[in-house]
Amino acid sequence: MWKWLIFALPLLALAAEPEKAADYQWNLPKGFPKPYVPADNPMSAAKVELGRYLFYDTRMSVNGKASCATCHKQELAFTDGRAVGVGATGESHSRGAMSLVNVAWSASLTWSNPEMKSLEKQALVPMYGEHPVELGLREGDKFLPALRSDPQYRALFERAFPRDSDRFTIVNVIKALASFERSIVSARSPYDRYHYDRDDSAVSDAAKRGEVLFFNQHLSCFRCHGGFNFTDSTVSERNHDRPIEFHNTGLYDPYLAPNVGIYEFTRSPADAGKFKAPTLRNIALTAPYMHDGSIPTLEGVLDHYAAGGRNGHNPNKDPLIGGFTLSPQGRDDLIAFLKSLTDDMVIHDPRFANPWPK
Amino acid sequence: MSHRRSFFRLSILAAIWLALAFGQAPQSQPQAQSGPATLAVTGDIPTPLTLKAEDLAAMPREKASVPEQDGTEVEYEGVPLREVLKRAGAPLGGQLRGKALASYVLAKAHDGYQVVFTLGEIDAQFGNEQIIVADKRDGKPLFGYQGPFRLVCPHDKAGARSVRMLETLEFVKLQK
Repeated sequence: MWKWLIFALPLLALAAEPEKAADYQWNLPKGFPKPYVPADNPMSAAKVELGRYLFYDTRMSVNGKASCATCHKQELAFTDGRAVGVGATGESHSRGAMSLVNVAWSASLTWSNPEMKSLEKQALVPMYGEHPVELGLREGDKFLPALRSDPQYRALFERAFPRDSDRFTIVNVIKALASFERSIVSARSPYDRYHYDRDDSAVSDAAKRGEVLFFNQHLSCFRCHGGFNFTDSTVSERNHDRPIEFHNTGLYDPYLAPNVGIYEFTRSPADAGKFKAPTLRNIALTAPYMHDGSIPTLEGVLDHYAAGGRNGHNPNKDPLIGGFTLSPQGRDDLIAFLKSLTDDMVIHDPRFANPWPK
Repeated sequence: MSHRRSFFRLSILAAIWLALAFGQAPQSQPQAQSGPATLAVTGDIPTPLTLKAEDLAAMPREKASVPEQDGTEVEYEGVPLREVLKRAGAPLGGQLRGKALASYVLAKAHDGYQVVFTLGEIDAQFGNEQIIVADKRDGKPLFGYQGPFRLVCPHDKAGARSVRMLETLEFVKLQK
């Protein structure tokens, strides 16, 4: 027994040794901090590439009908255009699919789970979740054997996890998926060219006026949608313990289950109806809006905030949702500003596209 | 009903409509333009100033690297607030004693945002806080919603006193 332990200990130490940080190039422009990446899943080009194949692979669902890309379509900034997501078996989610663009900087994932801070952990929810069924995988199903028997995956897994004796594990699948998701960076919108490169011709005068309105204290849009990623739910390598903010925007009173916000997890009545402020990057592509897709257009969203929410008396409503007056031109200017955050490169970039032959 | 009466009624209705349509036009209609090209130093001060970019360029200048909450780092450049106040004749240094210590500066932004700084925290013999009237960010003139002037408080943990689109520095003496 002891002899066995002496023999096995070095092997265990080898297995527990963290992966070495690979030479992944982020190529981030000025203004974008390096994202936080968990120490046990350093970025590598090989993992990102494997993750891309998995992301678009419908074998990752119970009936071969859905993949991650079903709800996260590149052309829609990795959303699906639906009010709420629909899983492989046709079951509806209670909330809309969130954009994966710049998800590497997300302090928390999904609309309202303060504990969901890791993309690796989050990937398990659509894969194995039962309420609702999204991809509908089950332990012991044919998914891992299918990967193992595919020569293309054998090569991809070998490059991504060269030191692993058994590469075909769910842990490695979620590490690769998370790496691919972290690689989806949007930093080259017209607004970025205007703001960071000082190219005055990159955006319209209306968008420039709209930017000033966005940062105006009476509107206070920037208070929840601030920073380089236009959300207060942003972390980075240097600052990944930042407190996470959630907001009740006065959509309902009361908020009915299952869409009760972070109250679902904290059980604090003051948290009822509090959701994450999503990034506004590419927001013109991600309609319909709010956690339940209940507002079809950006104009509708501005009208919602201008009115101070749908319900003036919600006790948990964020004090910032107090309403404001906006001229028709101001409304158009704000829309022009929001549209200047659309990054055509991220929705056409072949590095993020479906690698499988059609 | 006589015509005169119905005309009277219509007039009342028209007056109500006009009041609703225009009477509520908010005084605080959000400003869609960035701040003015000059910074006014006003109030109870010997030498009120109207400073342009070239005036600030000719004054003592300093830089500060400011980490933002999201992890980005930005370098601002401008004139120390105490230098601006000194030029306007504010009681700083040896003059900052007694009643003068009950003085503050009200920093006002183009969109109505306001923040207060006391002379005590600005003066080198007291708080000696580094507060900069910035006109450049990463080497380029401030523009859009930031500029052309803003305050930067590099040692504040939160950013809320770093007033953007700075328009006026109003000096107020509480005791004379």
